[in-house]
Amino acid sequence: MKRKVSLFISIMMVLLLALTGCGGGSSGSGDAATDPIKIGWIGSLTGDQAPWGKCESQTVQMLIDETNAAGGILGRQLELVALDTKGDANEAVNAVKRLVSQDKVCAILGPNASAQALAITGVLESAGVSDIATVATNPKITVNDDGSVNEYNFRVCFTDPYQGAVAAGYAADILKYKKAAILYDVASDYSQGFMQYFIETFEAKGGTIVAKEAFKAGDTDFRPQLTKIKKADPEVILMPYYYKEVALSANQARDLGIKATLMGGDGWPSDTLFEMAGNSLEGSYVVNHFDYNDPDVKPLTEAYIAKYGTTPEINCYMVHDAYKVLLAAIEKAGNADPQAITDALTQVEVKGVTGTIKLGEKTHNPEGKEAAIQKIQLNPETGEFEYAFMQKYGAN
Amino acid sequence: MFSWFYIEGILILVGINLMVVLGLSLLTGFTGLFSFGHAGFMAIGAYVSAICTMNFGIPFYAALLLGGIAAMVASLFIGYFTLNLKGDYFCIATLGFGEAVRLIFDNLQYFGGARGLPGIPLETTLAKVVIINIIGIAAMAFLIKSRHGRNMIAVREEELASQAIGINVFHYKMTSLAISALYAGIGGALWAHYLGFIQPLMFQLTKSTEMTIMVIFGGLGSITGSVVGAFILTFLPELLREFAQWRLVVYGAAVIIIMITRPQGMLGGMEFSLKGIIRFFRKFGKKKGQSAINAPEGGAEG
Amino acid sequence: MSVFLQQLINGLSIGSIYALMAVGYSLVYSILNFSNFAHGGVIMLGAYIGLYALHLLPMSFLGALVIAAFGAGLIAVVLEKVAYSPLRKRNAPSLYFIISAMGASIFLENLVIATIGPTFKTYPQIFNPIPFTFGSISVSRIDVLMFVIAAISLAILVFIIEKTKVGLAIRACSYSSRGSNLMGVNVNRIIFVIFLLGGMLAGIAGMLFGMKYTVYPQIGVITNKSFIAAVFGGLGSLPGAVVGSLLLGLIETLSSAYIASQYRDLIAFTLLIVVLVIRPSGIMGKITEDKA
Repeated sequence: MKRKVSLFISIMMVLLLALTGCGGGSSGSGDAATDPIKIGWIGSLTGDQAPWGKCESQTVQMLIDETNAAGGILGRQLELVALDTKGDANEAVNAVKRLVSQDKVCAILGPNASAQALAITGVLESAGVSDIATVATNPKITVNDDGSVNEYNFRVCFTDPYQGAVAAGYAADILKYKKAAILYDVASDYSQGFMQYFIETFEAKGGTIVAKEAFKAGDTDFRPQLTKIKKADPEVILMPYYYKEVALSANQARDLGIKATLMGGDGWPSDTLFEMAGNSLEGSYVVNHFDYNDPDVKPLTEAYIAKYGTTPEINCYMVHDAYKVLLAAIEKAGNADPQAITDALTQVEVKGVTGTIKLGEKTHNPEGKEAAIQKIQLNPETGEFEYAFMQKYGAN
Repeated sequence: MFSWFYIEGILILVGINLMVVLGLSLLTGFTGLFSFGHAGFMAIGAYVSAICTMNFGIPFYAALLLGGIAAMVASLFIGYFTLNLKGDYFCIATLGFGEAVRLIFDNLQYFGGARGLPGIPLETTLAKVVIINIIGIAAMAFLIKSRHGRNMIAVREEELASQAIGINVFHYKMTSLAISALYAGIGGALWAHYLGFIQPLMFQLTKSTEMTIMVIFGGLGSITGSVVGAFILTFLPELLREFAQWRLVVYGAAVIIIMITRPQGMLGGMEFSLKGIIRFFRKFGKKKGQSAINAPEGGAEG
Repeated sequence: MSVFLQQLINGLSIGSIYALMAVGYSLVYSILNFSNFAHGGVIMLGAYIGLYALHLLPMSFLGALVIAAFGAGLIAVVLEKVAYSPLRKRNAPSLYFIISAMGASIFLENLVIATIGPTFKTYPQIFNPIPFTFGSISVSRIDVLMFVIAAISLAILVFIIEKTKVGLAIRACSYSSRGSNLMGVNVNRIIFVIFLLGGMLAGIAGMLFGMKYTVYPQIGVITNKSFIAAVFGGLGSLPGAVVGSLLLGLIETLSSAYIASQYRDLIAFTLLIVVLVIRPSGIMGKITEDKA
């Protein structure tokens, strides 16, 4: 028995050594002018957020390949170090610690969720390396409660208050709805934030929230809550959560005979959504970051499909713009020094696929970007559902 | 090799996990109760201590203790109702408790709700974690060597027989659960002040099972084992980073392999001691390979 | 009133899914006395097997269901051989089985993520999606189908256990596996049968779950609810698992309908504790006495 154990331990040791060897090989790069510039990415490659994270990291890899093929930047090649966070805040901190100290990246892209972006603030500050979040919409990531800005946190997306206000404003002012119901995920930060700001704006505009029902992440059956919502008879139901639950709840709502318009945010867009619940979602409105049919957007979609064979998630477009901002900042800084890049991030203006991006000095959020309102419609020519662009809409 | 900044962070996490694992080790390893709800105690400790330092300006160490005590109070409440349950019934009841705690924090806007609580002062440093761990380990070792510790082990081995010879089984189970929750609460409090941000999602069922797996991996009924388990299993996922998507597959397989090849864990029932080291080296001098395994591991960690 | 009836139907429909999952889990518990936390992983794989059977082979719904059942049964048997059987040979305490099961569940979930991928998949539309409606009450067709299939498979299970020779041996083992072994029952074979049956039920549950909702690697998470349901009903008791599941479905539904959906699980868990305080072995569980 004892021999077996020592054998086991020695195998473990060899394994550890081999692994540390791997780790050692990739580190130790200096900042010589010919070495590749390292860019970090963090996000979920495993866990339930993995569909978004995977798409995001693939997009960055594709873009870096493109840049390298075109001769790189500042005469140097780019290299991606992508680390998994399992969608977990703790793992995100570990990953960032490794990226800034061992891999010595010049800046970090991602993560794709607010909690991770909030958790890494302290590490970024102590290391002096910047992070550009993609779809992390919690306002506190960049601006604290007291109005001070987190020096190394940036983002290219709008925030929860903005998204909530746009959805509520559009429902109340343009669609003229007076009675809204909300179904939300009690365990999701995204869902709670969106809901809270929707209610604030919708009530300020004279509307009433007739029902506010919750489910818990992991649930697949929403009929008890929907039955209750049906009784409250709303004109519009806000569904501020991700597309799997959206598809299920929309189908179940229609099964129960609910006719109200459905409305959602940037957690919705996905092809899978139509596959699962196209009919149920016809006529629904989505607050999105951009319009899919925009001529600026299409080439990226096509490039992604050509390379990976699937249609990209929304993260593809967001990380594309984050990447462009970063490239412009590296160019402006003239070197790969993290501090110089941080200083340059608010100085550059980039035309991305989701609009012109200019990160504000006082907010570190993109300034003057309007949301795109889309309606889900059946295209009579192709017989497929699509996001029909309604208008650009800003909250005020 | 790895940079210190990165290693330091993981070492702090080892220390944080170790606090929880020590508590769990007392409960599972020494008293024979299996809990799925320790993430709930961690959550209580984390939130209470964070509110203490953020909103009331209470010093860090006092906040840690308050967090731990809050978790302990919760454990007395839940233990009163569930400790009479047998085996898996207790296990599922604690699972329910852990999820219920999470749901309550999700709904309490004072604690930030599901959106979490950012801006907790970053007070947890490696030095502080090491000091707290040394105190924690010493206290635990002292407890287990005492009459109370032996009674707990008796409860684990033969509940009915212990009852028959006059050990108050319920009392010892309760004590064990309360101390275990105290450790978990302090662990959670350290964690909150290390990350600077907490949200209920961090205290899922998987967190509880992760901690339990560390205890089992290190070995039931061994403090040394808990230390080793916390070390290896905190580092392992980081070392497996190169495998990206496959690392949790490997982790899961590793757990099964451990259970079927050495179910008592790496150091089940063994403790690190000076005597052990001397014995080991004497043996080592005579016969290479035929080693007693407790000594080198203990030496490395001790 | 019609709202209440609708909620009742909602609750029963949720409960019947829990029931399909809980019975397989309770079956294993009745013999081996441990919580098979890998059951959720087998259910998830069953859902994927059914999905691919429908997509890749020209297959009718029933054919795919049979493939999913046998595929999942096979996986459960292999799992038993790899993860539990070595422990069983050593008479390890049930704690070790649970840990091994948790390892298996982590392994299976992430294996699917790493190979098939993390995205959600949908079953092709086999049945008319338009629900039956009675006034303002609606019942979806798949719910009716699920109910029927669940009833048939449980009836078959009951038949096997009550009327066949294997069933007699299973019942004997659930009282005392050591005693049965002495009486000439091949316990290893019985455990094989148990895992096969439990796995097949998991496969059926997985496929029906996938058809009703969707298929994704984390389906296993939902089975935590079925564990709780099994505890409600009494571990190791098959009728208990069914009753507990339907009860849990109803409690969840009615508490989100008439109390507060934000606190649904809290209410369900509190009730669970109350039930256990009153009846420490669940509603129909066998009362086990400690034997010194």
